[in-house]
Amino acid sequence: MTESSLFTIAFVLYVMALVVYFAGLFARRESWAGGALILAVIGFCGHTAALILRTASSGHAPFTNMYESLSFLSWAIVLALIIFGRKSHGPRLGPYLMLIVVGLVALASSPLMPKGATPLVPALQSYWLWLHVSVTLLGEAFFAVAFVASLLYLAAGTEEKKARLDALAYRAVAVGFPLFTLGGLVFGMVWAYRAWGRYWAWDPKEVWSLITWLVFALYLHTRIVMGWKGKRSAWIAIIGFLAALFTYFGVNYLLAGLHSYA
Amino acid sequence: MRSVWKFFASVELAIVLLIVLTVASVLGTLIPQGRSAAEYAARYGSLSGLFTGLRLTSLYQSAWFLAILFLFALNTIVCTLSRLGPKWRRAFRPAPETDAKAVSSMRLSSRFRLPLPVASARDAVAGRLTARRYRLDESAQGERRVILARKRRMGWFGSDVVHLGLLVILAGGLTSGLGGRRAQLSLSDGQTADVPHASFQVRLDKFETEYYPDGGVKDWKSTVTVVEDGAPVLTRVVEVNEPLTYKGFSFYQTSYGWDWTAPSLVLELRKPGGPAAFKTVTLKVGEQAAVDSPDATRVLVSRFVPDFVIGEGNRIQSRSDQPNNPAAQVEAWKGEERVFSGWIFAKFPDFGQGHGNDPMSGARTNAAAGAPKIAVILKDYAAAPYSVLEAAKDPGANLIWLGCLLITAGFFLAFYWPPREIRVVLEESQGRVDVTAGGQASKSRDAFKSEFDGIIGSIRRPE
Repeated sequence: MTESSLFTIAFVLYVMALVVYFAGLFARRESWAGGALILAVIGFCGHTAALILRTASSGHAPFTNMYESLSFLSWAIVLALIIFGRKSHGPRLGPYLMLIVVGLVALASSPLMPKGATPLVPALQSYWLWLHVSVTLLGEAFFAVAFVASLLYLAAGTEEKKARLDALAYRAVAVGFPLFTLGGLVFGMVWAYRAWGRYWAWDPKEVWSLITWLVFALYLHTRIVMGWKGKRSAWIAIIGFLAALFTYFGVNYLLAGLHSYA
Repeated sequence: MRSVWKFFASVELAIVLLIVLTVASVLGTLIPQGRSAAEYAARYGSLSGLFTGLRLTSLYQSAWFLAILFLFALNTIVCTLSRLGPKWRRAFRPAPETDAKAVSSMRLSSRFRLPLPVASARDAVAGRLTARRYRLDESAQGERRVILARKRRMGWFGSDVVHLGLLVILAGGLTSGLGGRRAQLSLSDGQTADVPHASFQVRLDKFETEYYPDGGVKDWKSTVTVVEDGAPVLTRVVEVNEPLTYKGFSFYQTSYGWDWTAPSLVLELRKPGGPAAFKTVTLKVGEQAAVDSPDATRVLVSRFVPDFVIGEGNRIQSRSDQPNNPAAQVEAWKGEERVFSGWIFAKFPDFGQGHGNDPMSGARTNAAAGAPKIAVILKDYAAAPYSVLEAAKDPGANLIWLGCLLITAGFFLAFYWPPREIRVVLEESQGRVDVTAGGQASKSRDAFKSEFDGIIGSIRRPE
């Protein structure tokens, strides 16, 4: 089986999971979410195989262009969904996370994204490509969890549900923030120092990573020291995820800089 | 003084500064940094003066941005220090003494009796706790024993370690900014250059570009020799992602190019429409070559550009240093008659041949009232390649790595090393001991509850 057919199968399974999630939501059948999660897990396995095949055939890490990195980011969000989407973790985030995943996979599959595996330009020939990109995108996947939990918090009706969503968002930030710091900022600085001879150049991508970092630092400080919980915390987590999304996406298309790969 | 300390010790200030830093950083990405005055004038019109005046165009190096960073550092120091003292005493100079009532109101608690004398009961409890890697602080008063058991105390200092890391990084940035030295060295094969601010030189032995089969660049490799006091010290290959470091200086492969000032050009002379060249000459710009043929006697090259483009005012210029569209301005003479004059293009050999005039200026050459008598083809071009190495001395880099290490360790402590505390009060009455135990943990409370229950269970029912 080829990489692209596995990717398509994963896409189809994710769409099916999404449909079952929302059908369960509208039909008020709590148990359907379990079935949707199983579909998502099977899709995840196919997606994993697609990423492995891609790595084997291209000979480099599967995140060197927009198509590849979108594929990896959606994979990471499904992983976060599997970790955080179970019932034991509180209210279900599955349907909405799956909506983001399907959106990203659809974007990756769109004709706008060149899918060919191109040989690596000299700057990307480094094992830091693996460390920097994979850890950063994993961190961003957990920001997506915090984002969804925060949006649901703002929409939630009961105080009990709100409290659980608030705690869930915090837990996702507690995983995502250290990963993002390590992958995005620390590994990014180490690699920049090796490749360009400077660990920080105020390049737009670097600055936006810093902005994302500052927003989540604000989230933690207002929460832990000033006791802001709930609504204000939720808004900061939402802004943080949007900043991360802009770092990942917007900077490439709207701002010019050194970091013009993906 | 006291009020200044209080001002900088406030978390509210930290939050204001975080927001200000965020907004300033966003602003610096919306306004392109470090461009020319003309570009800003074109882009922002009358606002450009204001922007440059406020240093929004070199925002991250501006005095006001650095001042915010300085306030941020000061705030971090004072905030951290003002909270460190109490935390330190709590972690390392604890007062175990407490009453049973306070213990039983802890998040987890348990009360039971042990049919043992108090000393043996204390040993049993202490044994169970130390087996779970708790550190004990105890006090004893008559028939009363109090045990304070804690583990993972470093978890309390996670945020302090992150703050320390942040300060070390800011110090590293300052050190780099003040003590850093950078220079670009453009070297052709065999050339030696002094490294500014260093006591040694570097020589480029060989520069190579490797290509993928599809023509994309695979790698740039500069074989570099460090020369000290006239003697070679070491030779290394410098590649992108593989710098050479010597005596505090690092050398990075940053760029490359060709020296287009004196390229060597291969020209073919043909009869118009004729398939084969009747003559091939190799010459440099500004040179002329004698041609021994009935159709031409000499050919000369007056100009060469690697990436031909017509700029403003119909001026011919090179768009880049890349040989994307190499072109040469050539003339051919037969005695006193100019038989060819114009620009010829390596990638478009037929262009410009049919007219015998300069295709750009539109001025007809004197000879070419009709078709040119001969055609000239730019068959090949070669220029000496050069490698651009960046020589950088960055004394702040090691501080940056230390800071990164501290931040990573601090995050681990803060999020995944939550301190656990168990207090036990033992009071003997009538040959038995009343045990009151309480426990609390700041995070992963489920895991702590099972540990707490396990410890209490094993004390109550010793095997």
